[in-house]
Amino acid sequence: MNEAYIFDTLRTPRGKGKPGGALYEVKPIELLASTLKALEQRNNLDTKKVDDVIIGCVTPVGDQGADIAKAALLYADWAQEVAGVQLNRFCASGLESVNLAAVKIRSGWEKLIVAGGVESMSRVPMGSDGGALLFDPEVSSKVGYVPQGISADLIATIEGFKREDLDTYAMRSQQLAANAWEQKYFDRSIIPIYDKNGLLVLDKDEIFRPGTNLETLGTLRPAFERIGIGGFDAMALKKYPFVERVHHGHTAGNSSGLVDGAALALIGSKEIGEDVGLKPRAKIISAAIVGTEPTIMLTGPTPASKKALAQIGMKPEDIDLWEVNEAFASVVLKAQKELNIDDDKLNVNGGAIALGHPLGATGTMLLGTLLDEMERRDLSTGLVTMCVGGGMGIATIIERV
Amino acid sequence: MIHYSKDIDQIVTLTLDMKGRLVNVINHEIGKVFIPVLEQLKAEKAKGKLKGVILTSAKKTFMAGGDLDYLYHADNAESVYKISQTLKEFFREIESPGVPVVAAINGTALGTGFEMAMACHHRIVINDRKIRLGHPEVSLGLMPGSGSSIRMMWLLGIKKTFNILTRGKSYTPKKALEAGIVDDLASGRKEMMEKARAYILANGEVRRLWDTKAGRIPGGTADHPKVALEISMISASLANGYKNNFPAPKAILSTLVEGSKVDFDTACRIESRYFTKLLLSKEAKNMVKAFWYDLNAIKEGANRPKGFGKFRPKKVGIVGAGRMGSGITFNCIMKGMEVVLKDVSKGIADRGKEFSAKKLLDLVEDGKISKAEREQYLKMVTTTESFEDFKTCDIVIECVFENEMVKSKVTKESEMHMDEYAFLGTNTISIPITKLAESSIRPENYIGLHFFAPVEEIPLVEIVKGEKTSDETIARAFDFVKKIRKTPIIVKDSWGFFASRVQNTYILEGLNMLEEGYPPALIENLGLQAGMPKGALALADELSLKLVLKYEDQASVNYGPKYIQHPAVSVLHKMVNELSRTGQSAKAGFYDYSNPEQISLWKDLGEHFPNKVKKYSEKDIIDRFLFAQVIEAVWCLQEKIIESVPEANLGSIYGFGFPAFKGGVIQYINDYGVKNFVAKCEELENIHGPRFKAPSLLKKKVEKQEML
Repeated sequence: MNEAYIFDTLRTPRGKGKPGGALYEVKPIELLASTLKALEQRNNLDTKKVDDVIIGCVTPVGDQGADIAKAALLYADWAQEVAGVQLNRFCASGLESVNLAAVKIRSGWEKLIVAGGVESMSRVPMGSDGGALLFDPEVSSKVGYVPQGISADLIATIEGFKREDLDTYAMRSQQLAANAWEQKYFDRSIIPIYDKNGLLVLDKDEIFRPGTNLETLGTLRPAFERIGIGGFDAMALKKYPFVERVHHGHTAGNSSGLVDGAALALIGSKEIGEDVGLKPRAKIISAAIVGTEPTIMLTGPTPASKKALAQIGMKPEDIDLWEVNEAFASVVLKAQKELNIDDDKLNVNGGAIALGHPLGATGTMLLGTLLDEMERRDLSTGLVTMCVGGGMGIATIIERV
Repeated sequence: MIHYSKDIDQIVTLTLDMKGRLVNVINHEIGKVFIPVLEQLKAEKAKGKLKGVILTSAKKTFMAGGDLDYLYHADNAESVYKISQTLKEFFREIESPGVPVVAAINGTALGTGFEMAMACHHRIVINDRKIRLGHPEVSLGLMPGSGSSIRMMWLLGIKKTFNILTRGKSYTPKKALEAGIVDDLASGRKEMMEKARAYILANGEVRRLWDTKAGRIPGGTADHPKVALEISMISASLANGYKNNFPAPKAILSTLVEGSKVDFDTACRIESRYFTKLLLSKEAKNMVKAFWYDLNAIKEGANRPKGFGKFRPKKVGIVGAGRMGSGITFNCIMKGMEVVLKDVSKGIADRGKEFSAKKLLDLVEDGKISKAEREQYLKMVTTTESFEDFKTCDIVIECVFENEMVKSKVTKESEMHMDEYAFLGTNTISIPITKLAESSIRPENYIGLHFFAPVEEIPLVEIVKGEKTSDETIARAFDFVKKIRKTPIIVKDSWGFFASRVQNTYILEGLNMLEEGYPPALIENLGLQAGMPKGALALADELSLKLVLKYEDQASVNYGPKYIQHPAVSVLHKMVNELSRTGQSAKAGFYDYSNPEQISLWKDLGEHFPNKVKKYSEKDIIDRFLFAQVIEAVWCLQEKIIESVPEANLGSIYGFGFPAFKGGVIQYINDYGVKNFVAKCEELENIHGPRFKAPSLLKKKVEKQEML
């Protein structure tokens, strides 16, 4: 079988995903086109050689509608021979694109693929695409679909994670992210965003707060209490009747931030690498997707990781470095507990709590962050896993070559 | 049947007057009669000889609601859908002759009756407080099925319409105007007709909003992100208190949400499909059975002793101006009875009267009564500290606290002044009436009247027969309870009477699960999911564990050697005797009441009742909760504690909140299937013991293949 190699990964800085954020004025197609151009330039890539571009995007309407992958390719002056597809697996979209690329390469039907993701949460807010799960009462009441914050609070309640545990984790994310920026760990992958005149718009993640401490985190209000009381808690308890009440521990401080951004990974076979002169950095050795109970929704990382590990006969302790997406603090704490992950192997440069979670792009960003850090530490195996809306989990395992 | 008259302004008045009926009803015949008339109107319009149409009624009411007999027995989706669509097409004809059509609403129009009004371009109603308007279908587990949901949505928006249809309120004309479901009020028939004509003359060719290009649903469709978000919150709110056990509010919400995204006629089809599903649902059938058939059977006096003329009490004496006495006072004056409210001092009695004063003020603010009427009502209450004022009372109701001595004393002192025709009702929850009657000089005129809290809201009274209570007194008590618009159920003087006895089995079952090692939160949540208003442990705390135990002690005395102790009794003993946690009034029970902001399960509960059960079937737990009650209710029927199925059903729904969507505690068996029910009893008996044994009455029903 063919192996799927990663040649390069890159990402934009993450801008605050609300009006007023640095990237609010930048169209999502611009974010994607900028990264495509950067990928082309720094790899001296003949774009004709690329078979397909797979782009994750969770809210593919408006500025992000109508196959933003192909649109961005054309806009970025890539060869017309390159195809593009946009996919949506909620928060895992940017990792699903990587896994799908790996599958395509391993099948031998395609040789060189760009996987990635884009999300301008400031311009195309979450939920703009409607959808039956949350907005069709017949469906949501049958499925027991609640907003993710309620699910995260439910996890914390069941696992016994107190508000302080969640905040402590959040503080760690902030400190590690600040340290990573200070030590320039992200430099290899960051593609600054410039305007059409070549003037700099943003070259650094925008929302992390290096000074964050437990005291300030403790002052933040529970973000999901009001809607919980409005009825979503009752929906959750219908599925989890052994819980007396949902404790609302998650706040804006210990949940992932809304941000704008894009990321890409160049993935291909060994032969195409030799053909176009690309040096493989790592290979994708396993990938897995699972479905989980949809009301608690965010418990997918553990079963997805286990599935991916089992496929190649590995165990959690065989992994040198982990990226568990920081959708909410409780999600990471639960996965850490279940997979028995050491602190110094887990999200060592912070994560979405500090830096933000540009839905469609995050998976690809995590892959890049993981690989950069594996190289810096000279480690062999790494695993990225994420919880996913609708009750899913995803995992990808890479090995340096 | 339809009187047609045309005036010089070329305005046609159609007056509905169905032959041989007290009211105009909408059924399949109405279409037949109406269609030629509508054809004629169209022809006149084509010739330019029609300015407008006024639709009114020659009956006291405008139009009656739907035919519940038909609805209850309907079992075929295709025919229900078809009838719903046919009626819609007819209403569509009414609203589209090209000229204004005005509903001149001279009387009550509810449910399907109001659909007709909604199909007119303009609604004018006589401002008479006795008139009731709107869509109360939801209280029978139903929803409008002839387009009203969609029409109202186009007039008022999704959210308002949802609120109106799911609250199921019947509006006075004034309130209907405020709610926006009618357009104008008139002082009387004459003004109504004048206003109708004026509207027609002022408006030429009118079209319904949904038939115009520019027409938009107020507030936007469910596609609008803001509306979509609101809808997801409304949808979630239906989970609070497990209201989502009732399918009607969900169906109404989905009809509006889905109907808002498409054109009017498509939306109407969506309404018909949800309506059909709902109508054929078990929940709706159960609710129609309980709140229509069972309730009517009771009201018609099926169990009232025969041969006694109607009792018309004018004056009621009430001893004890606490929460119960004040509530009953309010109930009585609202139905035109004078009340003598007595307590140990006039000051305390006055405070009891204050309750009515406050309630009446609410009614004034609601537009239900005028300020002058409020004064009149209040004048009907006399407060006193003297028993002498009971001299002219037809009834005296004693609601002093639950103590035999005090009750005996009050009985004696009241009877000293009551005349020999008056009867004395005692409001007790656990003292046998026959025993209390021993202190009465006229035990034949002594009876139990078990009211339920909050008394001004709960529409149920258990009439408890003492050994010596005369049939005449029962008949009089029945008439009195009916007069205060409550449902009377007649029960035998036995421990817990009917409601509390059955309710107690729910509590005991929950306590037993605790002993078995189920997590307490699970017990509470699944009780709620079963449709009960409170968790079993919370309820035990509320009633006090001592009372729960007292009922069980009374059962043991009652059955003597045949009594099999309920396994939960040990839990009660442990809580009361060892742990001194007797319930809410002691601020310590299964729950911890130290923080009134957040009352939580007692954190040490797990220490004393360790969690042993890790795997369980939620359905089995819910079955246990409901079966325990249903079996006890069947015992009550078998032991003649209660005489009839309707009384048991309503008694359970109103008395202790047995799930209405199951139609009450006996209808539950029909819903489950008698044979399946008995089989399940055997299964439960094998696992959990003899308390789940099916009473012989049920086995007989199975043999005869009968329902209950």
